[in-house]
Amino acid sequence: MTKKKKILAISSPGGHWIQLNKICNDMEQRFDVVYATAGTQYGSQKSHRKIHNIMDASADSKLKLIPLAVQLLIIMAKERPTAIISTGAAPGAIAVLIAKFLPIKTIWVDSIANVAKLSRSGDMVKNHANLVITQWEPLSDGTKIRYQGSVL
Amino acid sequence: MIFVAVGTQFSFDRLIQYMDEWARDNEETVVAQIGEGSYEPKHMQWERFLNGDQYNKNIKESSVFVSHAGMGNIISARENQTPIIVINRQYELGEHRNNHQAEGLLWMGKLPGVYTADTQETLYSQLESRDAMESPEESDNQNRQKLVSFLGDYIDGSIT
Repeated sequence: MTKKKKILAISSPGGHWIQLNKICNDMEQRFDVVYATAGTQYGSQKSHRKIHNIMDASADSKLKLIPLAVQLLIIMAKERPTAIISTGAAPGAIAVLIAKFLPIKTIWVDSIANVAKLSRSGDMVKNHANLVITQWEPLSDGTKIRYQGSVL
Repeated sequence: MIFVAVGTQFSFDRLIQYMDEWARDNEETVVAQIGEGSYEPKHMQWERFLNGDQYNKNIKESSVFVSHAGMGNIISARENQTPIIVINRQYELGEHRNNHQAEGLLWMGKLPGVYTADTQETLYSQLESRDAMESPEESDNQNRQKLVSFLGDYIDGSIT
């Protein structure tokens, strides 16, 4: 049996985390999935999973973004994932910007809450991530921003 | 049975009162999880908090689930194949720390099995048509299967 490829799945807590779980629960058979989110209260949902706790920072708290970036870099160095996947917001965007300089595929799945335009963090990473997915077909431009289904 | 839930983070007395008044005027059994709200219902069964198993059982057994506009409840409703009516908390009334639930109604209303209301009148008119509401089965959520297999193939390198 060949070793499963590893995915690092990152998001902020709340709705982004719920969506990330809807995607990654179904991927656990195929890949070795490790998670990173803020807040330990989300750790108990499925006990066998490996979840790194990261700082709860948003684009509104710019000073916190620097230690968050350091945390994410350490996690990536330790886990050495084939790919990272994020549904948002700030932690995922920073992870994509860091992984750009590493041999890691970066995947951004924009939150389903963004129905009229890409999220603020999605806008930030759309030219940096290897794959950018919107969950609403009208927001796809057919090339860079792709629609391939949605979590709901 | 109709199940009403307002989440655990904030109270939502306005919705609880709307549903209590509806329960007074209708024959249907209504069960509510009211959180820390100060309005205590008189015409429906209620609890402040329910454990996860009971909560899911109520969603599963209800003909329609009435909820604040939270993504967690939308997903749970879909998993139990129960139609859900969501009504947004209003920032202006102190019901949330911002108005994202009002904006949320725009996309939530486009999802299968999700119905939206933003006033007492629209809530009641949605309830009137509850017998016609349907929620598709989660196990054949082809939208998600498609997304997950696309992402998997992309990671494996079989598509670019």
